[in-house]
Order: sequence, then structure tokens, then C-alpha cells
Amino acid sequence: MSDVFNLLLLQNTLRTATPVVLCALGCLMTERVGIMNIGVEGMMLMGAFFAVLGSYLYGSWVMGIVFVIVLGILLGLFYYLFSIKFRSDEFVIGVAINILAGGLTVFLLRTLFGVKGSFSGPGIVPLPTLHFTWLESIPVLGTILSGNTLLVYVSWVLVILCWLLLYKTPLGFHLRASGEAPEALRAAGKNPDRMKMLASVLCGIMASLSGAHLSLGYLTMFSENMSASRGFVAVACVIFGGGNPPRVFLAALLFGFIDALGLRMQKYIPADITAMAPYVVTVVMMVVVVLMKRRKKRQPQEGR
Amino acid sequence: MSRLRILPALKALIAIKPKQKLTAQYLLSLFIAIVLAFLVGAGIMLLCGYDPIECYAALFRGALGKPRAFGNTLAKTATLCLTGLAMSVAAKAGIFNVGGEGQLYFGGLAAAVVGARLAGAPAWVIVVCALLAAVFAGGLYAWVPGILKVKLKVNEVVTTILLNSAAIYFCSYLTNGPLKTAERGISSGTDSIAVSFSPIIRLSNLNGSIWIAFAAALIIWYLMTRSTAGFEMKITGANERFAKYGGIRADRLMIAGMVISGMLCGLVGMIEVFGIHKRFITNLSAGYYFDGMLVAMIMRYQPFGVIVMSFFFAILTIGGSAMELSAGISGEVILIVQAVIIFFMAAEGGIRQSLRVWSAKRRVKRTHAKEAGV
Repeated sequence: MSDVFNLLLLQNTLRTATPVVLCALGCLMTERVGIMNIGVEGMMLMGAFFAVLGSYLYGSWVMGIVFVIVLGILLGLFYYLFSIKFRSDEFVIGVAINILAGGLTVFLLRTLFGVKGSFSGPGIVPLPTLHFTWLESIPVLGTILSGNTLLVYVSWVLVILCWLLLYKTPLGFHLRASGEAPEALRAAGKNPDRMKMLASVLCGIMASLSGAHLSLGYLTMFSENMSASRGFVAVACVIFGGGNPPRVFLAALLFGFIDALGLRMQKYIPADITAMAPYVVTVVMMVVVVLMKRRKKRQPQEGR
Repeated sequence: MSRLRILPALKALIAIKPKQKLTAQYLLSLFIAIVLAFLVGAGIMLLCGYDPIECYAALFRGALGKPRAFGNTLAKTATLCLTGLAMSVAAKAGIFNVGGEGQLYFGGLAAAVVGARLAGAPAWVIVVCALLAAVFAGGLYAWVPGILKVKLKVNEVVTTILLNSAAIYFCSYLTNGPLKTAERGISSGTDSIAVSFSPIIRLSNLNGSIWIAFAAALIIWYLMTRSTAGFEMKITGANERFAKYGGIRADRLMIAGMVISGMLCGLVGMIEVFGIHKRFITNLSAGYYFDGMLVAMIMRYQPFGVIVMSFFFAILTIGGSAMELSAGISGEVILIVQAVIIFFMAAEGGIRQSLRVWSAKRRVKRTHAKEAGV
């Protein structure tokens, strides 16, 4: 079993967790302004496609990321327009975005690249891998932390930035207020809808970036439905991370660990079972979190 | 007693709630949305260098032109209708079942196993037993997220979505492992079933199972619109607290809605197995439940509307793949058209109001300008 439990497992964990981390951060933004955006799954899928498209057309990963960010902003504005401005059911809009993403990516894949199923090739330039010599000199941490693709590090920075934004800045305070007490925010002279727009644009960008990591970082290809419910797992992570960036990050890491473990256990356990594990564990975790919260509530509170 | 007195009041309350009914205005909006969506589709076709009129003609010809095509469209209607009703039953009870895909897989698998194991028994015994097994498996798999929602308040949308993936992988494991058929030439599937429905129209997917689907749809329609349980579900979905006040056990109804929804999905799985594939295969459904879900959302979970809309969406789906063959354009363009319809219909109220505000503002501006001119 030493071929399963080694340092590479931890490095793989970081890699498989990253799309979920990025997507969950995006989803967390909308969650804090009071919208549960299950459309992140579709946003991730579209991000994955447009990253490949940009990278392929211009022969540089930078253009891939630029494509994805523009796409993310547009998707965020679109989501805002429909779910806030037109006050439609956020759940219906989320599902519709997922359907649109499934249709649009396959349609464009066939029309632009003329292929079915998946597109890969030497024309796609992947994200760069970063090596830190000072980090690599540390024996264990070096192998795990160094040599990952760009977006892995970006996702860690974003976790901290999101936390700072939400809890340490006036803007973050207003963001949270627009979800928890929109009337109070309005009374304070701020427009809650503005905050919700900002949140959904941030969500669009981060969810699309998570797709870019899938198609340019984790793999160098696009295949139909390659997001494979990771967006939904991200939504679950936000729920049991309680909307707090570091906790959501840990939840996503747990998912990544099980995913990576499953990939490496395929020699011993049927592949279908290992593929199933992350979803089952996520559901079980959601139940466990609720049960734990209940127990906490039941305990007599001292000092009152 | 108190419950009886409150019911008329509740009925009035529901009548006021605008989102519950399919008004003439809503249907008009739906018509406009469909036209707009078709225009969006035409725009995409033009951009890609195809003739939209030719494409759409190919679509309708491909769905309705030949008896065989029409049979396929009707069979698709049955699937969409059952999945759409499954979504509606749960949504009306105030709980969202997004996990129909998983329930469908388990239902199909249960039906296939029973159908193969009972070989030698009279045909009707096999069909009835397989039906019961499918309905039980689907219902059971829906009961889990239902009970989690009611007892622990675990978000059912997320759990059902995740359970979809879990079920699909688990069924794939079973069909590639313990339940794999020994037959040659079948890469991943269970043993073939002993009886199956024969096609009503030659070479089409339309088969005897349509009657089962018809009966199920009728039962659900009755349940939702004509029975006490349906009425209680409607109230629970509209306002849970009010329903509790009226003496309705909302949590029980939610679970019931979820389980019935799962049973319907299980039934769809059985129909797929018995009507088309004759065995359980790993890719039993290509997102059939999600298609049905969309139909249900567009028609605001109204059973009759779902049935009519299913036919329209079946034309789009069956015609879409025919269009791909004859006109050359990728059939996924139809998915985009469908998504556009949903966007417009979900935002229907908001768009209408925005338009009204906009035109009022313009009117005010114009009067101001006139007054200033005078």
C-alpha cells in the first residue's frame, strides 16, 4: 500500500481540490449575499471550454485566462440580471445555466473544433508549473507544495483575500449585510442590489477560473461534461464550511483528498467505487455537520 | 373540525398567489418566449453558416414526418411527462427532487434484475414484479434525502444532486462487476430480461409501456389536482407554516412527495429497460430527468401543462438529433434554445415589470417634455 499512501497523494490532493476550492469561493460569495447559486457547475464547465479556446487561438495560457475572466464577468452579470433584477427563482436559473453550459460547450466543440467528445492537441498551451527553489530545499513540504500549476497557488491567495474581504473591510461588511439584513443596509444608504451584483460577478470569475484549472492545469484538454458535478460538491462545501473561506477551503481539501485517494486506490478497488466515494462522503459530511451542530446546541450553556 | 373550516380560506389564499397558476397572460408570455428562443437559435444557425428555415424544417420533419419518427416522439413524451410530473409532485409539496436521475438508474437496475431472475414465470407476473421492484427502488432512494431534509434540515437540492452521481457510479460498478452478464458482445450490461414490450409502431421506441406511463400520469394528475392529499401538498408547498396551522402534517407530505417522485423516476427506469434496451446498461439515461425537470419548471408544476409541454419538448429533442443528421448542424443548438425558453420563463414576471416601469418612466418624461414645450 506504500504506492498509495505517500507524499504524492498529498500533492494530488491539492491538485484535485483546487477546482472545488475556487468554485466554492465563488459560490460562497453569492451565498453570503443570500443566493444559493447552483449554476456554478455550468460556469465551471464553460470556463473550462473558454480557457482551452483562448489558449488554443492565441497560443498562450495568458489569453486563456483572459477569456475566462471576461466570460466570468459576463456570466456574473447575466446571473445578477436574471436572479436579482428580474427576481426569478435562483434555483431555476441555476439549473438553466447548467443546461446552457452543457449544450453550448458541446455545440461549440463540434462547430469550432469539429470534434466529438473531447478536444486535445499540441496547440493548447497549459498553465505554467511554478517551482520555488527555496521551498524545494525543505524536504517534505517542498515536494508537496512546490511544482504545482499556477492556479493552485492563486486559489490559496484567493482564500485569504476572500476572508480579508468579507471580514476585514467595510465592503465585505456591506456584502454580508446585503444577505443578512438588506433593509438595514438600505437604511444605511447603501444599495443591496449593488452588493449582490458585485458578489455574482466575483462568483462568475472564480467559478470560471475553476474550470480553467480543470482544462489547462489539471489536464490539458477539454472533454464534454468535464466538470462532473464538482460544482455541486463546491456548493456542498460552502454549506458545511458555514460560509467561512478557511473552513470551506478545508472542506474542499477533504473532497480533494478522497478524490485523489480514490484515483490511487484503483488498483485495489473497482474504479466505479472510488469514483463514487467523494459524492457519498460529501453527503455524509453534510449530515454529520448538522448532527454536530445539534449536539452543541443541546449542551447546557455555562456562564449564563 | 378546525381543519375543515380553514380549508376554504386556504383555497382563497392559493388563488391569490400569482405564481401558482397558468394564467392567459403567462401562456402568452410562454408563446413569446418560445418564438424568441427560436429566433436566438436561428441567429446561432446563421452565425454558423446554416439556413435556419431549412434546419427548423428538418427538425419538425424529423420529429413528426414519418410514423416511426412520430412513435419516437410519443415515447419521448412519455418519458418527459413522467419525469416532469415527478418533479412537480415533489415541488408542489415544497421539496425539490433533483436526484431523479439516480432514482431512475436504481429503478431500472431493480427492474432488470427482477426481469432476468424471474425467467420462466408468466409474462404478467414478471412485468408486475419488475414494476414493483423499480418503484420500490426509486422510492427508497428518494426517501433518504427526503428524511434528511425533514428530520435534519439538510438541503435536499445538494444531497439529491450528489446522490445522482453516487447512484450512476454504483450502478456502473454493479453492471461491470457482480451483475455483469455472461453473454458475449455486451460490454457492460446485466442479463437480458425474459419478457419485453413489443413496439406499437414498427422500428420505433413506442411500445406497450406507454400504457403504463399513461396510467401513472393519470394517477398523478388525479392525486395532484383532485385528491385531498394533492390539495394538502399544494398548501404545504405554498406556505408551510400556514399548512401546519391548518392541521396538515407538512413534514409527512414532503416525504410523501419525495417518495412518489422517486417512484415515478424508478418507473421511468423500468420503462427504459423493458421497452428499449431489454437489459440494464450503464448509460441508461442521458439526463432524462433534467429534461423533465425543465418542462415542470416552465409549466409551474401544473400537471396538465406538463403533459402538453412534454410533447413540445419531445419534438425538440427527437427533431434535434434528426436535424443533426439531415441538416448537418450540431443538435446541441436545441439545448441552447431550451435553456433560453427557461431563462425567459423564469424571469417572466420580472421582465414584464421592468418593461412596465421603463415605459412608465418614458411616459413621464414625455409629458414633462410636452409641458416644458408648452
